[in-house]
Amino acid sequence: MPILEAVNVVREYRMKAETVRALDGVTVGIETGEFVAILGTSGSGKSTLLNLFGGLDRPTTGEIRYDGQSLAPFSSRQMARYRLESVGMIFQSFNLIPTMTARENVALALAFAGETRRVRMEKAAGLLDRVGLSHRLDHLPSELSGGEQQRVSIARAIANHPRVLLADEPTGNLDSRRAGEILQLLAGMREQDGRTIVLVTHDQQLAERHADRTVRLRDGLVEEDAK
Amino acid sequence: MSLLDIIDLALRNLRQAKLRTFLTMLGVIIGVAAIVTMVSFGIGLQKNLLRDAFARIDIFTSLTIIGPGAEALLAMREGESGEPVPRLLDDNAIAELRAIPGVRYVQPQLSVESFVRFEGRTRRIGIGGAPTEVDFNPRFRDFIAGRHLRAGESDTVIVTERFLARLRQKVTGNRSRPAGGPFAAGPVRTDDERRREAETLIGQELTLLTLPQKGGETALFGIPLPGETGQDEEPDRFEKRNFRIVGVLKAADGIDFQPGGNLLAWLPFDEVRRLRDAQGDSLRQLGEMLAGETGYQNAELRVVDLAQVEPVRNELKRRSFNFFSLSNQLEDIQRVFLIVNASLALIGGLALLVASFGISNTMIMSIRERTREIGIMKAIGGADGEIMKIFFVEAGLIGFAGGLLGLFGGWAVDRIANLLANQWVARQAGQAIRQIEFFSIPWYLAAGAILFALVVSLIAAIYPARYAAKIDPIRALRYD
Repeated sequence: MPILEAVNVVREYRMKAETVRALDGVTVGIETGEFVAILGTSGSGKSTLLNLFGGLDRPTTGEIRYDGQSLAPFSSRQMARYRLESVGMIFQSFNLIPTMTARENVALALAFAGETRRVRMEKAAGLLDRVGLSHRLDHLPSELSGGEQQRVSIARAIANHPRVLLADEPTGNLDSRRAGEILQLLAGMREQDGRTIVLVTHDQQLAERHADRTVRLRDGLVEEDAK
Repeated sequence: MSLLDIIDLALRNLRQAKLRTFLTMLGVIIGVAAIVTMVSFGIGLQKNLLRDAFARIDIFTSLTIIGPGAEALLAMREGESGEPVPRLLDDNAIAELRAIPGVRYVQPQLSVESFVRFEGRTRRIGIGGAPTEVDFNPRFRDFIAGRHLRAGESDTVIVTERFLARLRQKVTGNRSRPAGGPFAAGPVRTDDERRREAETLIGQELTLLTLPQKGGETALFGIPLPGETGQDEEPDRFEKRNFRIVGVLKAADGIDFQPGGNLLAWLPFDEVRRLRDAQGDSLRQLGEMLAGETGYQNAELRVVDLAQVEPVRNELKRRSFNFFSLSNQLEDIQRVFLIVNASLALIGGLALLVASFGISNTMIMSIRERTREIGIMKAIGGADGEIMKIFFVEAGLIGFAGGLLGLFGGWAVDRIANLLANQWVARQAGQAIRQIEFFSIPWYLAAGAILFALVVSLIAAIYPARYAAKIDPIRALRYD
């Protein structure tokens, strides 16, 4: 059974006068432990799909299922819980809180999970060590390189042990060497922890090098789904 | 997320914009300080008047029974209809009043003015007739030295602290009371000094001067005093009688509202009655000749407690006594103070209302700046409720800290104003006076002011907090 599924998902946005259909009936399943790359040009709907998987958004029609269960009936509180525990998100622009140190950024995710201050500071240090940043615990994001910032955000994404990692162009702001390192790190998350990885990218080479399977979207539809 | 974590986050946010936080808080500080200063002045006024001046003498359990004047008695005799004529306030009436259930005591008010000689000075003072049964009469409650008059005594006197001041005071024109208005309470002296001075009076004698009785009437104080007749330069022109001082009554602080507050010495009741009859008052005597016995002008009636006021009043009405009491004014006075305090609070409250707009404005600005941050929190699992709480706590912290500082500020303003006011009063009085507290900050004002600031801040945060909670994370994270 797939861990994540989109079933006939349509997502429309209302833009003043007209309605834009970002997803036009997408059905795709992601198996547990898979490393799936979602490819597509800008405007193909790939980020919209990822946001739906990440519980940040809800489909206009159709259904998103996690572990066989539909997210549709979830209250906003349950959705928050889902984002906290079931999926971890990684963004192109890192999205770290600029006034918090690396450790505090990671600890924030643990705070939402209700960990005590002492426990989360300890755990955050462990997580940062895991991504190779044990020497950067008390640095602010502005004092870190792009690659380092993305590592912090990966540490934050896995803080509450989600089964799925959703990465939206995680290497878009990095040079190819750093990009390779980040993808190695994600691949490691799958191999060591058995996590499922969903990577959204427009870089076909990158996708083919790391992913087991590529799903190509175009104009809100699945154009190609290849192993 | 625990409340402690939320407070931690909120504090971190407030620290990010220290100046803005402070300026926002300043609005709350000024509002709360205004409320505290205004209301503490109202409460101080109320306290000075109701508690310190009235309550000490239990004024609201006291009723004044008013006897009919000669004119009213004449009108009745002449058959004029109209107002019912009140009962004559004679000894029979007093006995009847004493028998009414709920009455603690009834004391006819009797006083004369006379010349008194003490330490070589002669002054005209008011002298009251004191009962010897005074268990519940607050007038004779506080002795600074000595004791009260005892039953059967006829040559003893008690004086008030002001007696000495009066006898030693220079007579300047018609002024009969020390300068400084009702608040002047004499030079500042320690209680110890006052007591020591009062104690020197005990055992001393004062001399009451009266005109000799004419027309073969028995001289009241006709016995010549031994040792005085020989050396006195005014041998037979006055009747003189000596009274031994046995007690000194403590002077009231502030205004003395009690009946007889202007009297400086108290003789046994019967002595004053005899003195009045002997010394006479031509108008009163004329009235009695025309209308017959007029009785006492008034009497103080005290009930055992406030609950008895109403039944006793009804009983007095039934028996057609004319009376006056402050107890029904109490509610009016309290209501007036409530209105005064509420108006003062309203003025301060307006300042706080303005401050609340400042809070809303600051919060919205801060949320707009932190839209992305809020989006991040939501994306990593922060619930709407938690986001809302962060902003409520931020506003609450501004309100609480502003309330606390405002309370302190209001207190500081009170202290300065009190100092200046006391200096002003002292300058008006031309002498040092006992310090008066014009302001009062009871615990409920302090707690209420902080609570009010907190509540106003939280209300101001409702819209911004909901706004923050509704931020769409996708939109918030879309742009770099």
